[in-house]
Amino acid sequence: MGAEGDGIALAGSRPSAEGAQATPVDRVTEQNRAIERDWVGELGSSGAVRESALRDLHRLLVSAARHQVWRMRPQLPHLGPGPLEDVAQCAADDALTILLTKLQTFEGRSRFTTWAYKFAILQTANEVRRQAWSSREVELRDEDGGTTLRGPEAVAEAADLADAVRRAMRVALTSYQRRIALALLVDEVPIDVLAERLGTTRGALYKTLHVARSRLRTHLMASGHLPPATTPRGTR
Amino acid sequence: MTQNRHHLSDEAVRALTLPTDPWLSCEECFELSDEFAELVLAYPATTSMTAMFVHLRACPACAEEAQSLVTLLAQTQGQDPASALARLRS
Repeated sequence: MGAEGDGIALAGSRPSAEGAQATPVDRVTEQNRAIERDWVGELGSSGAVRESALRDLHRLLVSAARHQVWRMRPQLPHLGPGPLEDVAQCAADDALTILLTKLQTFEGRSRFTTWAYKFAILQTANEVRRQAWSSREVELRDEDGGTTLRGPEAVAEAADLADAVRRAMRVALTSYQRRIALALLVDEVPIDVLAERLGTTRGALYKTLHVARSRLRTHLMASGHLPPATTPRGTR
Repeated sequence: MTQNRHHLSDEAVRALTLPTDPWLSCEECFELSDEFAELVLAYPATTSMTAMFVHLRACPACAEEAQSLVTLLAQTQGQDPASALARLRS
């Protein structure tokens, strides 16, 4: 798969790769047909029914992947329309493969098409970030580089909190937590890029960040630099 | 070490001290993101799925993907995503 056309242009008036433009009415009509379809049944069947469903699902995933590439295109300024289309097609292929392995986990809490789109969006976003950082070093430093102060009076309060955070990072965090927090939150390395470079997962890094933030907040509340915690209700 | 190396930007301080409870992992966020996107698009003022809102404020990658999904859904349904996106960014 990967070469057939896109039935839906999904980025405003942006032409599809084939040059055709879908009107908003076209998009809604196509979407309504897709929503009403028994995707799980057709994809779980065999023969022509399954093949048709696979083709149409792939087309939806390509649409979502193009949408995501279009959103993130400033991150890949050196790529023209052809290579950007390749990114979308490859991400849609990968998304289809992953989606099919998880088909039986679809519980119907959303429309199937919404469920499917998220796989294409995730794969595409990961690939765009990976390519955008492919020639960049990721430094896991243990000290923050900071920014230039705008003047001692104007930033006194902010600087006080910033200094407190910096001190808290030294005493409340492990070296690993500090390096991860600095890379993700100060140097703004994308979390999936950092995960790939370190041979770990996005979830593991976010957990490290969660613990680091909790430790910092606890330390800063104890020192009076942050107000006492108010925990939001709910678990989902 | 210079004077400049002793100070974090305001944005970095905000990001480092964000509350991230109730806990939700990136994997759980992905699992819930389809249901969440439809909910927020239909009811931007919803008070459900608190942990999703907390996670999305704290995880730029998940936030980009959630905003993208909301925008895509709105486009395919002929809706305006502005209110839902504003809620996600609040």
